[in-house]
Parts: sequence; C-alpha cells; structure tokens
Amino acid sequence: MSEQFKVLYYVNQFFGQVGGEDKAGMPPEFRLEKIGPAQGFEGLLKGEGTVVGTIICGDNYFNENKSDVLETILNMVKEAAPDVFVAGPAFNAGRYGVACSEISKAVSQMLNIPVVTGMYVENPGLDSCKALAYVVSTSDSAGGMRKALPSMAALACKLAKGIEVGTPEKEGYIARGIRKTLIVEKKGSQRAVEMLLARLKGQPFETEMPMPIFDVVNPAEPIKDLSKATIALCTSGGIVPEGNPDKIQSASAQKWGKYDVSETHGLEAPCYYTTHGGYDPVYANEIPDRVAPLDVLKEFEAEGYIGKVFDWFYTTTGTGTAVSKSIEFGIQIGAELKASGVEGVILTST
Amino acid sequence: MKNLIITNNPAVAEKNNNTVLFVDGSVEETLIMVRDKVHSGYELISHPLAASLRMMFSPFRSVILGKKSNKIDAFSAEIIEDSIIKYKRHMDFRKKDSANCEDYKMIDLILLESAIHEQAVTW
Amino acid sequence: MKLEIGRIYIKDIQLGNETSVKDGVLTVDKDGLISNLKEDERIRDVVIDVAKPGEKVRIIPVKDVIEPRVKVQGGNNGFPGVTSKQAQCGEGRTHVLYGAAVVTVGDIVGFQEGVIDMWGEGAKWTPFSKTYNLTVDIQVAAGLNPHTHEETVRIAGLRVAEFIGLAGENLTPDEVLTFEIGSIFEETAKYPDLPKVVYAEMNITQGLLHDTYIYGVNQSGILPALLHANEELDNAVISGNCVAACDKITTYQHQNNSVIYDLYAQHGKEINFLGVIMVPEHTTLAGKLRASDYTVKLAKMLGADAVVVSEEGYGNPDSDLLMICKKCEKSGIKTVLITDECAGRDGMSQPLADTAVEAVAVVSGGNVSHVVTLPPADKVIGNAAAISVLSGGWEGSLLEDGTLMCELNAVIGATSEIGFHNVTCRLY
Repeated sequence: MSEQFKVLYYVNQFFGQVGGEDKAGMPPEFRLEKIGPAQGFEGLLKGEGTVVGTIICGDNYFNENKSDVLETILNMVKEAAPDVFVAGPAFNAGRYGVACSEISKAVSQMLNIPVVTGMYVENPGLDSCKALAYVVSTSDSAGGMRKALPSMAALACKLAKGIEVGTPEKEGYIARGIRKTLIVEKKGSQRAVEMLLARLKGQPFETEMPMPIFDVVNPAEPIKDLSKATIALCTSGGIVPEGNPDKIQSASAQKWGKYDVSETHGLEAPCYYTTHGGYDPVYANEIPDRVAPLDVLKEFEAEGYIGKVFDWFYTTTGTGTAVSKSIEFGIQIGAELKASGVEGVILTST
Repeated sequence: MKNLIITNNPAVAEKNNNTVLFVDGSVEETLIMVRDKVHSGYELISHPLAASLRMMFSPFRSVILGKKSNKIDAFSAEIIEDSIIKYKRHMDFRKKDSANCEDYKMIDLILLESAIHEQAVTW
Repeated sequence: MKLEIGRIYIKDIQLGNETSVKDGVLTVDKDGLISNLKEDERIRDVVIDVAKPGEKVRIIPVKDVIEPRVKVQGGNNGFPGVTSKQAQCGEGRTHVLYGAAVVTVGDIVGFQEGVIDMWGEGAKWTPFSKTYNLTVDIQVAAGLNPHTHEETVRIAGLRVAEFIGLAGENLTPDEVLTFEIGSIFEETAKYPDLPKVVYAEMNITQGLLHDTYIYGVNQSGILPALLHANEELDNAVISGNCVAACDKITTYQHQNNSVIYDLYAQHGKEINFLGVIMVPEHTTLAGKLRASDYTVKLAKMLGADAVVVSEEGYGNPDSDLLMICKKCEKSGIKTVLITDECAGRDGMSQPLADTAVEAVAVVSGGNVSHVVTLPPADKVIGNAAAISVLSGGWEGSLLEDGTLMCELNAVIGATSEIGFHNVTCRLY
C-alpha cells in the first residue's frame, strides 16, 4: 500500500472525553488528534489507514441546532477530505444515535463519502441511515466497544479501498435493506430441495425471502352502550400544552405525557401546539383539534352520544420512535386507562 | 346475475354485454375505482392484476366485480389493496408503452373473456 | 413407471442437405425442414438460423424453447395429444439431442419480449446461452386471428423438435438416465421411513399467450391434475406462454424440469417422491380458491409430508402461491416455495403485498427489475425492432451505440421459478 487512506471520526461530548450531560450543549469542534474510540480505531486499520482528526459535538447542541450544525460539520468534513467517515458507535444512546445518523446521511448524500457507524438495533437513529451508511450491529451499551470497533475498521478498509462488501452476516453490519441480485453456484431447484431436506430433518435453514412480520392486534370487543362509556383520547401527533412542560421529544420520543382536559372544550391554539418534527405543523398549530379532535368528543359528551370524555389526554410523538418504545408506551398507557375504567380509546396518528 | 366490469379499455366497453363502468383514465385510476367499489361492498370476481410482468405494462386493464352486498368482502379488499401497491411499485417510474396500444387492447379483451368464461355460473 | 432418457451430446449445429448427427455435430436439412413446416398452410415463411454459445448473437423475441427428441421405445414419437396421437408418456426410451435446442421466434403481438444473448453479460442471465440453438422464425399467412397465429407458431416449434430429433433415433447415446418410480404403495413399502414429498407445479392458464397444455389439453379448464414425474420429463407438457420471459416455463424447461430432476435424485435416499400436481393458475378468485383447495386435498390424499411449490409468472399468481402455502402449512404439510421478486431497480423495495407468515422457506429466483446492460450484438436473429420494446418503457434504456439496458424480466429464463437457473437475491 503506497499511501494510507484517510479516516475522519465523529464522537459526542462523552466519547470525545469533554464531559457528560453538563457538556451536551457544546458546539462542534474539529481536533487534529485521535480522541476516544478513534485511537483504538486507527490501530485496527493495521497501518493501511490513518485517522486525520476527530469532530466532537454535544448531543443536545446537535439535536437543537440540526440544520446549522450539519452545515458546520459538513464544512469540516470537506476540509479534511477523508476517504471514509466514521461516526460512533452510538450503542443505544438515542440523541447520539440520531446525531450519528443525520451526519452519516448528510456526508453520504452531500459529499458522496462512504460512512461507517455502529448502533444497537433499536437505536432510534438506525432506520433513517441504514440504507446509506454501513451500521455495525453493537450491543446496547458502551461495553460492546471492543467488539464493535474491529468490524467497523474492517468495513472502513474495504470501503476506502473499493473492495466489495460482503453479506451483513459476514461483515457484522445491519442489513441495509438492499435486495442484491446475484449469480450463485447452485440452481434454484437444488437450493429448494436442500431447504426441504433441512426442514424435514428439523435442521436450521434460511429462507431466501424473509417475509415482513406485521404485529397483528386483535380488536377489542365492541362497546355495548356508548352512551354510558368513558372514552379517552390519545395521539402520536405530538400535541402538547404550551411550553411542552414534559419536554416530549420532537422525534424518537423517549416518553409520553398526559394532561388534564376535564375543564377544556377543545385543544385550542395557542394553549396547545404540536412538537412533532415529522410533518408540516402549520395546520396542526392553527387548530390542534385537527390532530386530536377533543372538541368533537366533548360535543358527543354534551349530546349524550358518549358517556364521558376521560379527564386525561395522552400524547407522544410517533416519528422515529422505536417500535420497542411504542410497545412500552402502549402497555403503560393502556394499563392506566384500564385501571381508570375507560372503555374506549380514540387513537390518532399523523 | 350480471357482472360489473370496470375497465379503461375502449374495446371492452364497446363489446361487452355485461354492465361496464368505463374509466376514462389510467390503469391506476381503474384499479382505484375497483378499490372504491370493493369498499362499497362489491366482491372481486377476477384478480386485478395479470399473470405476467409484460401485461403489468399494459395501458389497459379490465376487472370483473360480482355481487354488491352491505358488507365489505375482506378478501377482495386485501387483494385489491395489495394489487395497487404492487402495480405502483412497477409502474410509478415508467412511461406508458403506447406504441402497442392496439395489441394491449386486444389481449386485455381476450384475457377478460377467458375470465368470464372461467366462471361456472352466472345468474 | 420406468423411463430411460438417452442423451446424445451435441457440440455443434450446422445447416446442410440432410438431418443427421455425426461426432456430436447436428446437421439440419434446412430446405427439407422448411418444406415440412410449410405443409401447414397457415405458415407463409420460415427463416432457419443457428446461434451458438459465445457468438455475438441476440435472439428476440423468443416465443418458446424446445428440446429435440425422439421416442425409440414405447409411447408415440413427438408430443402426444398435440403433434401425434395420444399415447402414455413417461415409459420406454427417449433419445435426446442433449445440448441442442429449438428456439421459436416471432411476434404474435407487438409488445412481446424475450431475449437470449449468446455471449458476454447477457449470456450469464439466461440458461439458453449454453445450448446450441436452431432458431425458427415463423411468418404466418395473412389474416389469421391471434389464437390461430399463436397455435401455428407453437405447433411449428414442436414439429421442428420432432423433425430434427429423429436424427437421434438409431444412435447410441453418450449417457443413459433411468427414471423409475413405482406406485405410491410400492414405493412407500420400499421406503417406509422416508418423508413423502409432492411437487406442486403452478402453470399460467389464463388465455391467449398465457396458457399451458397437458397432453394437448388446455389446463385452464381442468382441475389440478396428478402426474407421474416421468410424464412431464417425456413431452406430456407444453408451453403456450409468450409474455413472461424471465419466469415462464418454456417447453424445454418442462421437458427438463429441474425440480423433478432434483427431487428424483433424492428419491429412495432422503425422500419418497410421490409425483407432480399440475396446478392451473386461474384469473378468477373463485378459480384460485378452488385450485388451491384441490391441490392441498390431493397432497393430503397422497399422505404428503412436504410439498415443493413452484410458481409461473408474476402478479396474480402470487396469490395462488401463498394460498397453497397457507393451506398446506395449516394441514401440517411443510412447504418450500420457489418464486421471484420485484425489489425495484435499486433493490430497495421490500415485499409489502402478498406476504404470509406461513411462507418460512422460500427460494428466490432473483429480482425481476434488476437492470442489466447488454452491449450491441453483431447479429440479431428475429425482429431487431423488438429490442426497443424490451425496455419496459423507461428513458435511457437504448443507448446511442446500441447498448441496451433492460430489466431481467425481458431475459428468457433469467429468474426461473422452477429453479432452472442460478440467480437469486440476498439481503445486503
């Protein structure tokens, strides 16, 4: 190898050894040194590549100033002109994951530089970047660093040198969702018969076309007498009271909120607005009832069409929120509603 | 009982004794009309898609609907929804193959006639 | 039932004044063949040509591919019920001109496709780039209706295969394959512990250009039929399918059905191969429900433990495939499905429609929308204008220098759903 390829590294304030949560507001900085995981990473390149610098940015700063900070970081990348860009690994850290994801996407799309990062499969940043970046599958905590870095380094080497990247299983990255057409050694019929024999013998076999699995929820029994039932309202459309008192995230929600609407006739502006970051908020903010129609429910209550509107309104944001989180939220909210004697829920999404 | 045929193929509209609902538009619009009818209670008699990719590129499509009832036929609804997804996946980025319009009209009509013939009973 | 297939290896084809095989070279009496074909008054003109592996030749639009054969013992020569009188297929001895193929060319409608490239990139994607192809381009008499036109071309191809197949009648084959499976009771007594396996072969049966025939009977009007595996290997099934280039089953592929070959190879070793259910793919939902019910019923009557199900075509047959799968799995019969997929040009589209949790074991023949770049040919056999049809209607497909970018769906046998070719898709 005549010349070493160049790697530029991205980490957050914590892995950049600046500090913890108290430093999460730091703006991006470019350092010539190899900091945090970047140090070990270079060693794993076995002399073929070198880390030319580390960008450090606070997680909160990134998430609160997305468009500006992306531009700043892209300029830093342009300046350093690396052959490969590496971010993280972010493990299961939500904000760090989203930052790695956004930066990976931008570097790949705007600068056409290959990107390697690492995440736990449930990291909320994963879905939006996995088609563009190679995301190495990591454990959910930083304890998995030693396992993650060699796979990331191996991928970086291949990408820098233009060597074809193998299957996700072989290389340790999370499938990017590309169905690649290949010519293989065995005919389809032979593969089918081998699969059949494995199935018949109870041996493991691998389908060539995994079917997407949809979570099917059985509908509840119909409500017998709507005029006596208590109905609750719940949305993933991000409608929150003014000031967003519980600081529900605008994307990749980590929590849900509930607000007393017993004395309210509707979700009216400006007392309510949406914090959802995944759709055009103009019409929602004009009349928040458009997203979660409390006004109509209250009218139904007045008419006696339904027994009562439940005193509490439940809300979160659905965009980028991990399925596992959503299940968790659903179980918690469902348990509360059930305990309060609510018989029906109107769920609205955006 | 007579069938209801939804089609954007003028050759079908001209020729058929069945009740024809002519859609002056694309295959996609025809399929969407079929969907709307299914959601209003009609059952599907013929599958909304053809059996080959080449016929997927046809600018004409005819679909046979049967009885209308008060209840939506869930099986028909699933099939038409899936068919629209599949159709769009193939056609969204394509231009119409208009050079062979007459041939497509003819084959669509012939395949439709085969489908009508396939039904054991119509009353 | 016992069938011997004697393979006579063909290493070249030449046009000449007699039809014979000498030292692996098949010589075809071109004029004799043409006048033979013209006995059918519906045929106006015939152009015979040869395409050999490695030559920069493109054949388009291909209608069917047929293997030339001769029946030397038992049954009737040709295709019983179609080109000859009814006889039982699957018994006795058949000689095959192995490595040769008859390729019929000719457009019945303007949008027909189906390309075979004999060299380079295109050759990788079709199994028929490896055979020595005798191409038969048929022009029919004016005024034929489309059904008669299709039938004329279909029968002509079969007659060519029969005509040149005769050259193998008195030769000693280079290799003899024996296919023998007795009655279900005999085989089950012989192999009481082996799992019983049935092959369900779905065939397009939906009307003009979309038909399949068993002993000359159009399958669209019959219930799923049980065949001994030997029958299909011995000319009982022919294709009338002209528009699903990448995943149709040509007559050649019926004669050499790779699923049957591979199940046969395991018979008496790992499995007890009970037979083939020929499943019609209907247009109506009622037909689909009936055919899938009936197929599963036959499998259950046979006591099958497992079924290999292969599809033909794309679109509405996907529904049949999954119906059969669901009903089999529900009855405790394990399934392996062979199909192809559309993942879009970039491979990024995921299957959203027509999916079933029961389909746990699926073999993919590849992405029908995968784009291949085919350099210009030195010689085009057939209709060069049909090349522009190949594109599937998107811009930039036919480049200025004659290079063609097309999807696999235009290439004969590329994504075979009977697993005849070695293409697949993997998730990356």
